[in-house]
Amino acid sequence: MKFALPLSLALLGSAAMAGETAWTVKATELKDKPYTDAGAVGTLAERSKVEVLARQASWTQVKAGNATGWVKMLNLRLDNPDARSGNTGVGALFNLARTGKSGTVATTGVRGLDEAKLASASPNGRALERMNGYAVGKEEARGFAKDGKLSAQDVARLGKGGKS
Amino acid sequence: MRRLLVLALAALALDAQAVDFSKLLQAAQGSQAVNSVLGPKAAQLVTQENLQAVAQAKDAVIDISENDEIELGKGIAGNLLGAAPLLDDQGVQQYVNRVGRWVAAQSERPDLPWKFGVLDDGSYNAFAVPGGMVFVTKGLLMKMRNEAELAGVLGHEVAHVVQKHHLNAIKANARTTLMKNAADRYTNRSSNAELGKMLIASGTELLTRGLDKGDEYDADRVGVVFAARSGYDPFGLPAVLQTLQGVQSGDAGLALLFKTHPPLDSRLEALSASMAPLEKYDSQPNLEARFADKLGKR
Repeated sequence: MKFALPLSLALLGSAAMAGETAWTVKATELKDKPYTDAGAVGTLAERSKVEVLARQASWTQVKAGNATGWVKMLNLRLDNPDARSGNTGVGALFNLARTGKSGTVATTGVRGLDEAKLASASPNGRALERMNGYAVGKEEARGFAKDGKLSAQDVARLGKGGKS
Repeated sequence: MRRLLVLALAALALDAQAVDFSKLLQAAQGSQAVNSVLGPKAAQLVTQENLQAVAQAKDAVIDISENDEIELGKGIAGNLLGAAPLLDDQGVQQYVNRVGRWVAAQSERPDLPWKFGVLDDGSYNAFAVPGGMVFVTKGLLMKMRNEAELAGVLGHEVAHVVQKHHLNAIKANARTTLMKNAADRYTNRSSNAELGKMLIASGTELLTRGLDKGDEYDADRVGVVFAARSGYDPFGLPAVLQTLQGVQSGDAGLALLFKTHPPLDSRLEALSASMAPLEKYDSQPNLEARFADKLGKR
């Protein structure tokens, strides 16, 4: 394929998850397999620091001390809760170009699209036209889904849930 | 005075026969950059007549037909594309369209003219405009690991369109502006073309000002359902949110996303509270191999 940025994409290889650090947001069972009814290897306290090894659907394999096992992905955060100063509003303050850690994050520090660019933009009718050429119909999408062995499911909308 | 207001409202009314709203939007689209025309001078000379007009504007139900919604979206999308070009890669563009179109087909608005575009921009973001045009930046696309993650992100944006989040915000904005105009007999000279421009400018401004935070949580909750309906592992969206947590918070590519969305931790917390019913779908495919193949990853 002729994707424009082979170099950046190369950084996204199979090791994309390896070496990432995560923290538990609540006390969490460490399972020996990525299933709810799998046996527990141990329990991780809230705010345990773990190393991310792999991911499978709603489960993440982690290494905590000498133990390895699976925890529910939504019990993990990939930013340090103790260092968190609120994600909002930070954006307006920084212009630093930070380097990614251990080669797994191809950060450039480029701000990219922002208010100033959008406010001064002239409408691009040609690009709108090009998008028409890329669009696909429902039938084509259905064939594409079939190729991927995706089957449509009847799933109801979610409520907000019991927890905060 | 009052006649002018009625005329102005007519341009926004459902009865598109009376005023050809689509042409109006197209005309506005063709004109030069549509910067904000909101916020006319403060109200002057509030007379009894003005107050009546204000009351009328406040009560006016601004209804926009689906065709008008689509035209409005094109106007906003045209501006976005003026600020960030499309990625010049037909293969990737068509792949993202196929995933997006399949996800949108599982929504409650399956027959909109859905179109998806990858913006050649290094920031991490995705956008939707009324009527079914959806955008994702190359920067965000390259952070993804599989097709289920792409479906989750596109599902969030499709949800904005299905729930009419932007459209409703634009309408609310228009009501406010019409009220201001009505209170000011000297600035109430809005032509129909100006009204069309006003709506497009308002929608464009929303892209960098952001929606209500509640709309973002709603789009997360609805988006993961669309991904599940489409047959994907529905945990792709939270996976992307986690990935973004792992990006250094000092990365400027996150600035606009942070400005316009609730904190990643809060979004993950909200998904954690609501996603339990989707756990049974977590063995659905994520199509990592197809994603890698289509994006040229080997």
